[in-house]
Amino acid sequence: MKIAITIWGNRISPVFDSAKTLLITEIKNGMIQKKTYQSFDPHAVHDLLKTLKEQNISTLICGAISTHPAELIVENDIKLISFVMGNTLEFLENFTDKNQIKKSFIMPGCRHHKNFIQPTHNRINTTSGI
Amino acid sequence: MINKKIFGPLTGETTKVILECISDGVFTIDYNWEITSFNRAAEEITGIDRKEAIGKHCWEVFRSNMCEADCALKKTMEQGRPFISTSAYIINSEKKRIPITASTSLLIDKNGEVIGGVETFRDHSLVEELRKELSPKVRMEDMVSTSDAMKAIFNILPQIADSDSSVLIEGETGTGKELMARAIHNMSPRKDQPFIAINCGALPDTLLESELFGYKKGAFTHASKDKPGHFSLADKGTIFLDEIGETSPAFQVRLLRVLQEREFTPLGGIEKEKIDTRIIAATNQTLSELVEKNKFRQDLFYRINVIRLTLPPLRQRMEDIPFLVESFINKMNIRQGKFIQGIDKKVLHAFMSHQFPGNIRELENIMEHAFVLCSEGYINLEHLPPSLFPNPISCPDDIEDPVKAAQIKLISDALVRNGYNRNAAAKELGIHKSTFFRRIKKLGIKL
Repeated sequence: MKIAITIWGNRISPVFDSAKTLLITEIKNGMIQKKTYQSFDPHAVHDLLKTLKEQNISTLICGAISTHPAELIVENDIKLISFVMGNTLEFLENFTDKNQIKKSFIMPGCRHHKNFIQPTHNRINTTSGI
Repeated sequence: MINKKIFGPLTGETTKVILECISDGVFTIDYNWEITSFNRAAEEITGIDRKEAIGKHCWEVFRSNMCEADCALKKTMEQGRPFISTSAYIINSEKKRIPITASTSLLIDKNGEVIGGVETFRDHSLVEELRKELSPKVRMEDMVSTSDAMKAIFNILPQIADSDSSVLIEGETGTGKELMARAIHNMSPRKDQPFIAINCGALPDTLLESELFGYKKGAFTHASKDKPGHFSLADKGTIFLDEIGETSPAFQVRLLRVLQEREFTPLGGIEKEKIDTRIIAATNQTLSELVEKNKFRQDLFYRINVIRLTLPPLRQRMEDIPFLVESFINKMNIRQGKFIQGIDKKVLHAFMSHQFPGNIRELENIMEHAFVLCSEGYINLEHLPPSLFPNPISCPDDIEDPVKAAQIKLISDALVRNGYNRNAAAKELGIHKSTFFRRIKKLGIKL
């Protein structure tokens, strides 16, 4: 499974719409096997989608995202996990290990929302109460 | 200045009350960028409860486009000076972008020690909405205009749509005739039925007839099965006959009979089929002039000319250009997944100086060209196609004869008005094109 995350330093970028860097991770047997970084333009969502498709990336993880790019991403069969925050590696380890998102990784104001995960197909398990 | 004699010194509690009463969002941070206070307005604007906000990093709560690369608070903390009214947006939990202006300053305690920073922000959503509402433009379906000519059409469009009468739309190429036809259909009681458009000028007679009326199996060599025509497909809906002025006299006779009898026979068929279809026809010529020249049947003209709408060319509604540009930007941003914010003032100036012989379609094509070259921000002159800047007309410098100067101006203006099309310019001036070319040469005008 390949996952892309918009990052800012060692954190998940707080706002997708102004993010600049993408971390692409390859995960096998619940372990991160490979990491690559690349810059991207959040204003050119179609270019980003092309990159994701070309690299067989099925999931995009990001911070806050506005409706327009979020819809484009989901419409293109990419699973979108948005409004998450915190240290990128800690998030990934938790996510790949338990296939869950801990409450502490969810942005304030979003903990009672279920729409921060917008899968196109297989819904990811989440911890109860989210 | 607060008069201490009247109000007394402001206590911490008083400050708290004031902060709770104001409509601007206010939050403070410490040196770890963690939120230490979050007022009521901040809760309302961001949609985040202060209990959740306090102790979190400001970027996780504020979620502004400034946070990552251009944080005003960071600049204040580094430079020790305030930043006032920076325009930005935040993204709330509903994925909505909220336009704001933010101001930042240092947070200093009573001993003069810097203990963090303070950010105040104002929600501009309402201002933006009001600005849009106050805008004089009128939107009708997919069309937008602020010109009086178009507004007059928009005003009567609901009544036209409600009726079942035939409509003739006249207008130069690219003025939005099909868009107007679609708008009439979409506002009519037939809106849930098909809208079928056909360009009559693009097809030879026999093909046009088979397209419109359909054919039966065996009607001609390759007719291996029945094919319904556009009139059948548009049953109970609307048929749009574009470029009706281009049709042959023979076809006009056939069409007239169909419109009069409200029935037709498919090619190779025996039984007649009834039609319940609204007719909207369009032409880029003046149909009454074609009638006078015997190029269009008068009886067919009267049959389709029940209601006539004449769409003005873009050069007669230049005030619409900013709205059309905005509309194209919104549409193309969605279609191409970009965030182009607008056009530079110089681009608008270039548009306003252009005659747009191709009308709105030309403007749309120019915008599409610019979208290819511009990846973000504002569209500049460098993103526009070179055809928008034709070689300027050069004239001899030493013109002393006022008659000669006036002739040069007349010809130059006509050329500019007609997009440097010499034939069109000659026609506008009412002279033969060879005379026009001769005068250009004689006056020393270089194109």
